[in-house]
Amino acid sequence: MAGLRPIKFRLLELFTDEKEHWNNEIVTQMQKEYNMNSNFGRDSINFDILELASGGMLKSVESKVDEDGVYKKGFLLHKYVITDFGKVRSSDACLEYV
Amino acid sequence: MDIRELKKLENKRKMNKGYMWALFCAILWGIWYIPGTIIWAVPPFDSMWVAIDATHGGSMATIAVALLISAFNALTVIAALLIWNGYLGKFGEMKRTLKEFHPCSKWFFLASIFGGPIAILGSFIAIGFIGAGFAAVAALLYPVIGSVLARQWYGEQISKRAWMGILVIIVGGLTIFVGGAITEITSGSINYIGYIGGLMAALGWGIEGAIAGKGLDIAEPDVGITIRFIGEASIYWIILIPIFALVGYPMFEYALAAFNPLSIIVLGFAGITFGYCYVSWYKSFPLIGVGRGQGIGNLYGLCAVIFMYLFMAQVPAWTVLVGGALCVLGSFVMISEETGDAESLRGE
Repeated sequence: MAGLRPIKFRLLELFTDEKEHWNNEIVTQMQKEYNMNSNFGRDSINFDILELASGGMLKSVESKVDEDGVYKKGFLLHKYVITDFGKVRSSDACLEYV
Repeated sequence: MDIRELKKLENKRKMNKGYMWALFCAILWGIWYIPGTIIWAVPPFDSMWVAIDATHGGSMATIAVALLISAFNALTVIAALLIWNGYLGKFGEMKRTLKEFHPCSKWFFLASIFGGPIAILGSFIAIGFIGAGFAAVAALLYPVIGSVLARQWYGEQISKRAWMGILVIIVGGLTIFVGGAITEITSGSINYIGYIGGLMAALGWGIEGAIAGKGLDIAEPDVGITIRFIGEASIYWIILIPIFALVGYPMFEYALAAFNPLSIIVLGFAGITFGYCYVSWYKSFPLIGVGRGQGIGNLYGLCAVIFMYLFMAQVPAWTVLVGGALCVLGSFVMISEETGDAESLRGE
């Protein structure tokens, strides 16, 4: 399935386990799945996560400064969880929601 | 700096980015009225009007030419957007998104109906019957429609301050609009079809924004907008133009004649300005919301008046200047808003 669906669909799908995920971990996983290994690819995926949060489908439950440069040194990392609205949109997107 | 401060700063950056996209949209949209006006005087569209006027009358000639121009405008926009997506490496994402018709693409195709044959064709009809200055300001009410629908359909949060900004922009737009209408009424000639075109533009773009906002929840804006224009071009070339041709309008003859250097340059200019204005519009929605994106995007009315003055020597009336100043003021009311900790636009 990986790589076959639009990026935001897959992002929502990854969050449908209702667990909290750090954005940098999700970005790394997506980069591998979609073969988007450049810095542009990384930022583009992170931007999609930001848009999902901005649209109310994900919400940040914890933040920390990226001291070690796991994503970008000095940047804020966010731990996101799917919202109820996100679940509804996931179902709309025909994701198998468990 | 503590985390709270950093979060605030990050949020502010995100909002500023959204406002920047919306402002780009306004400037490019304003420039678009230059090729949008010139194209009417470029072969074969000028002779097409004369030919249809002789057989079907001036009003039908304007509508038929507006349709053919809109259809070519959609094609050149697609060309500009394909270059943009190629540059961003998003063809793969486009294919993936197109395949997801039911949950995703259908929203863009639906948006293309309202944005295309209703808004853009309406706008070209307004340009053809009345003029670009009028067409530009006639659609200024569209953010009200977009904001109200976005709130009704998916509960988009619009702050009191954002509403205030939108209202000031609308008052500015109405000042420009009513000023022009009064001049026309006093001169005794009112182009009703042109006004209907203006209304089509306002309604169409407002509804399109709200529908597109739904699709953009789960699609990337660069890709979404391209699908939206593929939809629009299909409506023109597969449905409307063949219907016009069947009832006796020489649509395909003039479509072929449009492949001349001058026409291609002007249409290309229209495609580039409109395509990238739309990209900016769609990119601003997920960041600042449909209401604010459309509110700032509305500065296109003022930009159009400025560009029409600079490049086409069309001198604006005092009502246009007063209304334009109100539009700028309203946008500043919105931009200066303290976004605080609000992370989502949907009130989560």
